[in-house]
Amino acid sequence: MKLLKVENVSMIFGGLTAVKEFNLELNQGEIVALIGPNGAGKTTAFNVITGVYTPTIGHISYKGKEITGQRPDQITKLGIARTFQNIRLFKELSVLDNVLIANHLHLKSNFLEATFKLPRYRREEKEILEKSLNLLEKVGLQDAQGEKASSLPYGKQRRLEIARALATNPAILLLDEPAAGMNPKETDDLTEFIRQIRDEFQLSIFMIEHHMQVVMGISDRICVFDYGVTIAEGNPYEIQNNQKVIEAYLGVAEDYA
Amino acid sequence: MMNLNAVFQYFTNGMDLGTFLQHLTNGISLGSLYALVAIGYTMVYGTLRLINFAHGDVFMMTTYFAFYGVSTFMLPWYVSFILAVILTGALGMLLEKGAYRPLRNAPKISIMISAIGASFLLENLAVVLFGGRPKAFPSVKVLTDSVQFGSVSIQKLTFVIPIVTIIFLFGLLYLLNHTKTGMAMRAVAKDYETAGIMGVNVNLTISQTFAIGSMLAAVGGIMWGLKFPQIAPLMGVMPGLKAFIAAVIGGIGNIKGAVIGGFILGIGEIMIVAFLPSLSGYRDAFAFVFLIVILLFKPTGITGEKIAEKV
Amino acid sequence: MKQKKTLLTVITIFVLFALVYLADQTLDPYKMRILNLCAIYVVLGLSMNLINGFTGLFSLGHAGFMAVGAYTTAILTMPDVVKGQNFFMAPMMKPLDTAHVPFFLALLISGILAGVVGYLIGAPALRLRGDYLAIATLGFAEIIRVVFTNMQSVTNGALGLKGIPVSANIWWTFGVALVTVLVIGSLINSSYGRAFKAIREDEIAAESMGINLFKHKVLAFTIGAFFAGIGGGLLGSLLGTIDPLMFRFFLTFNVLLIIILGGMGSITGTIISAFIITIGGELLRFLDESMTIGNLVIPGISGMRMVVFSALLMIVVLFFNRGIMGTKELSWDSFFNKFSKKPLAKGGNKQ
Repeated sequence: MKLLKVENVSMIFGGLTAVKEFNLELNQGEIVALIGPNGAGKTTAFNVITGVYTPTIGHISYKGKEITGQRPDQITKLGIARTFQNIRLFKELSVLDNVLIANHLHLKSNFLEATFKLPRYRREEKEILEKSLNLLEKVGLQDAQGEKASSLPYGKQRRLEIARALATNPAILLLDEPAAGMNPKETDDLTEFIRQIRDEFQLSIFMIEHHMQVVMGISDRICVFDYGVTIAEGNPYEIQNNQKVIEAYLGVAEDYA
Repeated sequence: MMNLNAVFQYFTNGMDLGTFLQHLTNGISLGSLYALVAIGYTMVYGTLRLINFAHGDVFMMTTYFAFYGVSTFMLPWYVSFILAVILTGALGMLLEKGAYRPLRNAPKISIMISAIGASFLLENLAVVLFGGRPKAFPSVKVLTDSVQFGSVSIQKLTFVIPIVTIIFLFGLLYLLNHTKTGMAMRAVAKDYETAGIMGVNVNLTISQTFAIGSMLAAVGGIMWGLKFPQIAPLMGVMPGLKAFIAAVIGGIGNIKGAVIGGFILGIGEIMIVAFLPSLSGYRDAFAFVFLIVILLFKPTGITGEKIAEKV
Repeated sequence: MKQKKTLLTVITIFVLFALVYLADQTLDPYKMRILNLCAIYVVLGLSMNLINGFTGLFSLGHAGFMAVGAYTTAILTMPDVVKGQNFFMAPMMKPLDTAHVPFFLALLISGILAGVVGYLIGAPALRLRGDYLAIATLGFAEIIRVVFTNMQSVTNGALGLKGIPVSANIWWTFGVALVTVLVIGSLINSSYGRAFKAIREDEIAAESMGINLFKHKVLAFTIGAFFAGIGGGLLGSLLGTIDPLMFRFFLTFNVLLIIILGGMGSITGTIISAFIITIGGELLRFLDESMTIGNLVIPGISGMRMVVFSALLMIVVLFFNRGIMGTKELSWDSFFNKFSKKPLAKGGNKQ
């Protein structure tokens, strides 16, 4: 089934076209990567899908239902969660609180039930706590639950961001450069980790990534952006041998690999 | 003339043309005063993204400087006024150095609280130093005399104020657009970090911005004192807030906008009271209602551009 | 351990009320009045901290909500005769001139009305951010004040209301303060409180975690206004006299000073600071009054006290901008840790 469908989406700021005629289909269980040079409009594409921006032209649908123009919180509630390129944790709050907060959207109790700790709220709070501790264990942060989020080392902050996104019960996870700033060992772990959560939580994953090792290792399909335009799409093998891509991107990337 | 007046009265619910013009000139001169103070708000906001809450109190301090210059030091009024303007400029720089510079990289909320603190500090210092009871601002006959126009008499000041405002506005625009200092100010307002890298002395330029903004408020303060010759420690609060509102209406950060906003607010305030006397008690609320309407429907003012947040 | 802590809390509350009883028996009316004010400022400080400190909305409209509460309580508790004496300029509006409810109900209605006003202001204003929100809420509070000055037949206009029954005694003020601490504390530690803090930390991330920003901001704002209204009602009842000038921006500034000093986002900090500021403010009164030492008479400088206050605010913001507590709380855990010198109870993993 087509879980997410992006049709002909363009995002224009003033006179600048950040994303042009972007199309994407994401199936259940797939991992799709979006690559391209810096400033190619990848994060803008994310922001359009998650509702931070309303696309200038085009439609986005989720499970066959149109979601274009909905607010970010509504879209998250439907089942699309994300992480951020420049980590946006709730820095002053504890690691556990960061994950607990992401459960709030599914809370049924109203604020009075919550304030006066009525039975339904107590039951929900207990479930939320168990689930969150579980998630922290999954990402290997169970020992850090009481620490301030900003005190974690960089790699753990990235994991916490993923745990937080998972707590919203997503069907689709959008990862914005999850491997940024990681060393080769951490990158390997991350690749394995992404595959693992995909299987365990039955996720479809759409990610922006620069590390070719990660991208080629786990992607089912790859989209290549250049100046907001999709210049190629296909499986890792096809992309590696695509002349346009090599010219626009991989030729440069090799120097970094 | 009779006919014109009759037509006019038909449209204005019985107000005759002479009275209307009197209200209009009043509105223009009040608006000019708001404009002068508003420029200071807009310049500071444009540079530091900070509402300088103490700006209205700086305006109040000027009137006391001028008052003591004339009454205690027996200076001729023009000497006292010029000294008051210079002292106010220095006060503005001191304010920036003491209350804002140490917090330049602190969270915005801290800077704003510091601004509120500075405002209260100036007000209370004024109570302690000058006494809480209102004082009479020195009257300057040459400016406060009235001239007769047919049946209506209008204070000379009513014409002097807008003229002075326009002169200072053009002076400021010249300074900003045609001098090196002005260029530095514009550069710092655009992006002070980059301006610093490019070799602009950022601290000096911000100091100058405060000095100029405060001196313009000082000119406004002196004319305010002449027009409403009663000065008190809290006199700057309302004009300050209204001038800030004028700056928001005109699109904060935009100098011409601040002047336009000042005129809109001044004229609007006088006219509402003139045409709907039953609402005169709500005169001070009018500006705030206007502010809220502008903020909700055109938050960047009538000339402003939208500033998007980066995700 | 958890039960032990609850027990300790209950004991503390009992001790507190024993002290209140003792104070009630032994202290003179002037000191009692200060204690009452302390408790009221705890209510006001917490209500503002919920909005500004926990949710991170810079609102400066508190005096407006307090005015709504103070006038509501006054109008609903004043006897008819006193109302007649007050309203000599214009008779009081019809059903209000004979309206009466018990003090408790009056306070509750004050809170609800202030909450409604908070909602009506918040719904449009909370679309704004940062300093624009601050100036808009300040504007709304001024509008409330101007409206109250002009509603002669409801509020008695600029003359204000005199002879409000002084129902607020130490039991009421400390009782309401305690309830406020417990309710706001419980709210803050619930899922809703976490959502508020998330909004404070990072709006964009909070929204991406499915938190409806607008709904939660309006919620925090309305609840804050509710408690501010109750605080205002208590204040009017304690003072016995209110007029629109009382509710100028200066009143908001006082409450702001409390939460800045106590720590934006700390309940215990707010409580401590409400006591420090209120008692400190009284102690500093000597600055305004003339003193006689032996034969020497030092004339007081009226306004000096406020200079010290404003300077204090500036010093706190410039040099200790997290206040006494920052976003931390005094808790039994931190208490035990301090005294038992054991390492902090957090799971290993030191890096």
